[in-house]
Amino acid sequence: MKTKMIFSLALVLLTTVHCSFSQDLLEILESEQQNDPQFTPATFKMTRIAIGHSTEVRGNGILELFVANRFWNTPADRSQSFVADRLSSRIALEYGISDKLTFGVGATTFDGLFDAHLKYRILQRSNEKGLPFTITLFQNMSYNSSPIANQAIADDFSDRSAFTSQVLFSKKVSKDFSLQVSPTYIHKTLGLADNDPEDFFALGIGARYKVGGHVSVVSEYYRTFNPIKSFDTFDTFAIGANWELGDIMLQFMLTNAVNMVEDAFIVQARNNFNFRNPNLNFGFNATYVFHLRNRLKNKN
Amino acid sequence: MLRIAAVFLIAFLSTSATDTTDKVIARQGKVSFFSRTSVEAIKAENNQVLSVIDLNEGKIAVSMLMNAFIFEKALMREHFNESYIESDIYPKAVFEGLIIDFDRALQDEQTRMVKGVFTMHGVSKPIEVKVKIVSESDGYVVTGDFETLVKDYDINIPPLLAGNIAKSISIDFRFEYQPYED
Repeated sequence: MKTKMIFSLALVLLTTVHCSFSQDLLEILESEQQNDPQFTPATFKMTRIAIGHSTEVRGNGILELFVANRFWNTPADRSQSFVADRLSSRIALEYGISDKLTFGVGATTFDGLFDAHLKYRILQRSNEKGLPFTITLFQNMSYNSSPIANQAIADDFSDRSAFTSQVLFSKKVSKDFSLQVSPTYIHKTLGLADNDPEDFFALGIGARYKVGGHVSVVSEYYRTFNPIKSFDTFDTFAIGANWELGDIMLQFMLTNAVNMVEDAFIVQARNNFNFRNPNLNFGFNATYVFHLRNRLKNKN
Repeated sequence: MLRIAAVFLIAFLSTSATDTTDKVIARQGKVSFFSRTSVEAIKAENNQVLSVIDLNEGKIAVSMLMNAFIFEKALMREHFNESYIESDIYPKAVFEGLIIDFDRALQDEQTRMVKGVFTMHGVSKPIEVKVKIVSESDGYVVTGDFETLVKDYDINIPPLLAGNIAKSISIDFRFEYQPYED
């Protein structure tokens, strides 16, 4: 009786122990998998939220052809223009030098700005402990090529140049919602009066909300803390939709900013955001992505 | 009393012995998938797929991180993770199954059916895959391929891109197993 009990007990023990060992092959794999850091993918997907830069950088060997357009109407009562009275386009090329560093050049038709920028992602958010943000540094320089008739205005190279520095912080709050804060410093002199500041401090806030697999709603707002005094300027606002189609990414937006280069659209928005002409700009950005490097070939 | 101790000891020894020697693991398994349409050919590779086999029972498990798939185009990887496979919510694809009639002692090559459940994008489907198992000095090499339908796993392809992504995806795998120790 006693031995029978012992044996049955041993048998039960044996089978349970055996089961607990063989039960979960997946648990073994789980424990093997834990150590790799997982970077948060696609906080904004596009290198711009709407009008301003996002923390995203393109990887090494990627060339982006970026075409941005703004359409708006003049306040004239009658207009015979086709589609819109005015159009400004900025054409730019952006190239990923490394997976973290992007270099870009662009030119705008309406305000004659030529610009170049460097963008470097110093920290990408991952599931590991550490700062819960992605941080990207942005530095741009622009040159204003538009003719100036007034002899009194100093316009040598340094006067025509403007500089924008930004530290972009972004956080993917949830799978669908991403938020960005963009402290900005701008230095510019051209066309400003003596009592105007030459160094501007601004703060941008941007957000993206994904409404579908390929479509998201975005909005951005830039506030300048020490605005230009000699003429009225307004905070910049944009609301729009981003649509991704494989290698082509499209952005549609409504904004009060005519210009497309940071130093111009952040401190020099002459109109407030409303639906009257010429305040309302319809913006359309198209990005075509060329992959110059095959990731499957050059890996390891 | 001594007898009890002996039984316990035997029970303990037998279980711990099976634990260390009867499992083999592949830590750098390779899984690739292909989608081929007249518009675009897409290929992706994952070289960090984990798999473990319980040699006694013929049980097999596979686990892969979706964001470890590398594509020819970097942007495709982002689209794949964000818009199609949603790796924020479903970071892994796992398979759990049984190798039918697995013979661990067979030194030669053996072709066997593996039956089990594959879970990806939150959808679990029973699948059957024919695999080739080659016994090597220090372990096993398992290779095979199968086809799967995109729509089986609730993956949404926008109509505009329907021409770029095949309805049926072919999947290739190769696992090299070595003895597993904790």
